[in-house]
Amino acid sequence: MAKILIVDDDIDFVSAVKLVLTSNGFDTAVAYSRQEGMDKFVSEKPDLVLLDVMMDEPDDGFVLAQSLKKKSKDTPILMLTSVGQVTGMDFDKDSEMVPVDDFEQKPIMPNHLLEKVNQLLGN
Amino acid sequence: MQIIDRQKINNQIEDLRKKYGEDRSALMPILQDLQEIYGYLPDVVMQETAHAMGIHPVEVEGVASFYSFFRTKEKQGKYVIRLCQTISCDLAGKQNVARQMENELGIKFGETTKDGMFTLEYTNCLGMCDQGPAVMVNDRLFAKVDAEKAFRIITDCRRDFLKSDFPEVVPSDVKKAGPILDHGIKPVESLKKALAMPRSEIIATIRESGLKGRGGAGFPTAIKWQLAGAAKGDKKYVVCNADEGEPGTFKDRMLLYEETDLLLDGMTIGAYAVGAKKGFIYLRGEYLYMRKYLEKALEDRRTQKLLGGNILGYKEFNFDIEIRMGAGAYVCGEETALIESLEGYRGEPRNRPPFPVDTGFQGNPTIVNNVETFIDAALIISKGADWFNEHGTDKSKGMKIFSISGDCELPGIYEFPFGIKVSELLKEAGGINAKAVQIGGASGHCIARKDFHRTIAFEDIGSGGSIIVFGPDADMLQVAKNFLEFFVEESCGQCTPCREGNPKLLEGVELLEKGRCSVTYLNELKKLGETIQVASKCGLGQSSPNAFLSIVENFKSEILSPAVAGKLTKEEQYAR
Ligand SMILES: Cc1cc2nc3c(=O)[nH]c(=O)nc-3n(C[C@H](O)[C@H](O)[C@H](O)COP(=O)(O)O)c2cc1C
Ligand code: SF4
Repeated sequence: MAKILIVDDDIDFVSAVKLVLTSNGFDTAVAYSRQEGMDKFVSEKPDLVLLDVMMDEPDDGFVLAQSLKKKSKDTPILMLTSVGQVTGMDFDKDSEMVPVDDFEQKPIMPNHLLEKVNQLLGN
Repeated sequence: MQIIDRQKINNQIEDLRKKYGEDRSALMPILQDLQEIYGYLPDVVMQETAHAMGIHPVEVEGVASFYSFFRTKEKQGKYVIRLCQTISCDLAGKQNVARQMENELGIKFGETTKDGMFTLEYTNCLGMCDQGPAVMVNDRLFAKVDAEKAFRIITDCRRDFLKSDFPEVVPSDVKKAGPILDHGIKPVESLKKALAMPRSEIIATIRESGLKGRGGAGFPTAIKWQLAGAAKGDKKYVVCNADEGEPGTFKDRMLLYEETDLLLDGMTIGAYAVGAKKGFIYLRGEYLYMRKYLEKALEDRRTQKLLGGNILGYKEFNFDIEIRMGAGAYVCGEETALIESLEGYRGEPRNRPPFPVDTGFQGNPTIVNNVETFIDAALIISKGADWFNEHGTDKSKGMKIFSISGDCELPGIYEFPFGIKVSELLKEAGGINAKAVQIGGASGHCIARKDFHRTIAFEDIGSGGSIIVFGPDADMLQVAKNFLEFFVEESCGQCTPCREGNPKLLEGVELLEKGRCSVTYLNELKKLGETIQVASKCGLGQSSPNAFLSIVENFKSEILSPAVAGKLTKEEQYAR
């Protein structure tokens, strides 16, 4: 069973996503900050990471994505962010600065999320 | 006559558009050059400029009237003499110089001599606070001007100023250097090292160093670079904020001149890290004398392949830097106002968000950093994050360059670690008798002896490095007045609390001066100040009452003393 790590400082969002994923048969691990995300990545060895951008610092998601890819470049990362709505910021995948496999805007519909997750896991 | 004139003007404008570009962002440099030619900006010149650029003449007039260095009414004199009216120059004896100049020229400040030779003006901080009183004549700066030197300057101008034996560049006065100023790094060393690193690694090193912006606000540099690097966009920009308008700050003047290569290395590293192709140095109008020198440095770097296409042989790394001159508006140091100004508009701050890292110059991702920040970044790349963050405090890493002026024995430029106590700093600068210290310039706080144990750090008293010392005899009401006059003059006028509130505070200070301000009214002024702090749109308004409020708090009995000294009865003191 694939394990998915959710890294986001929004507790409500994390529990909602966790519910969607577990009820669809996925294993989950959660982290609420950049540092915790890194620790859990090492201890839990997830197959996929769902990653927020703005946590304690506005660039935490990018920084963590860079570190994660250095540790294991084959673990896919799906970046989930509401950054655009809050600040008008617009980001794109970029192997150097934003090394993520896909991008999705929050809020995201459960079906769409599951579709993305399956796609990234190669299911 | 009119027709020929217009034709000539048009040709000049066309030449300037070829030089500076065809889009709106060329407006400021075009107007600056046209003013050079005509001595001011006559209506017809503004109309023709508008016509050529396809904008309404009102737009051009709006821009010209915003900046104090543009003249639209009357021709300025061949020599425009600007005397600094900032508090440090006040303390150093500006009044005598002013009197001498008025007597010698037979005009008042704000006027031009009948023969069209001289215009006399006051200006805000010239960035020479350690060597005041300071005077600027056209693009030349003069330090330590007294009545006699003022006379000599005027005589030189009358003869032909260019032959003057005054130095072209006023030497900087570095009193204490440390790891930053004694870096020992050769030009281009940092850049070479950076270009061999992955872009994310450069930003990771900056992050590890803990570098926070040296312009005053202390925003972490790595976050700014990371966000701009991650932002979507083919066109990204790097801007060096060399506006240094904060009264009492002059360290960037020294850094621009003496650490030019390191600055340009830092900007180029920043460009590489975020993926920018173009950079600007926004140089304050008061530092015009430095332009030639900086242009030459840029040209040298182009020939050495350090700017332009394929920098240092790295394919696909193309980057060049253009110098843009400010025109005497303090608010343009605020980064969004600076960007407006670069785009050819009035320097009016924008709402944030969106932030420049995403929506900066012409709507593209842009990093704006202080001169010192770029220099620190270059050094961090060369020497490593640990070298930098072994100094300073937990939340304010590294060494900081300070500009110290006012009533102290050794004014000048000092390098200290963040976290230094105010008392230690005063000891070094020979100002232990101080009764108050203004930290952070006009927008900073004025602290009294009881707080000299406090530290300069973002978590205690933050500062871009401006320290103005007030001796035992300083008149604190005059200090408050000087700063408020500054803000009244420099407010861009966009929002009500700042535009209307500051003149009210100034009026209050004038009442205090006359001994006609009651305690009750003073309390109302305090409330007004607090409202301005929370209700203003940009940092200028938000910080404008700081000095006044801290002086009221720390020197209440002194500033109320005229009222107590018999001018108001007890009832009157508490009336209103
Ligand atoms: C009214 C006002 C004036 C400012 N003037 C300057 C200035 O002259 N130089 C500067 O570097 N920052 C100035 N700043 C701060 C800039 O807005 C911005 O924070 C800074 O350029 C960012 O660079 P840094 O992060 O490297 O400090 C000013 C801010 C305000 C509100
Ligand atoms: S606070 Fe003052 S300077 Fe800033 S936008 Fe408002 S009026 Fe302009």
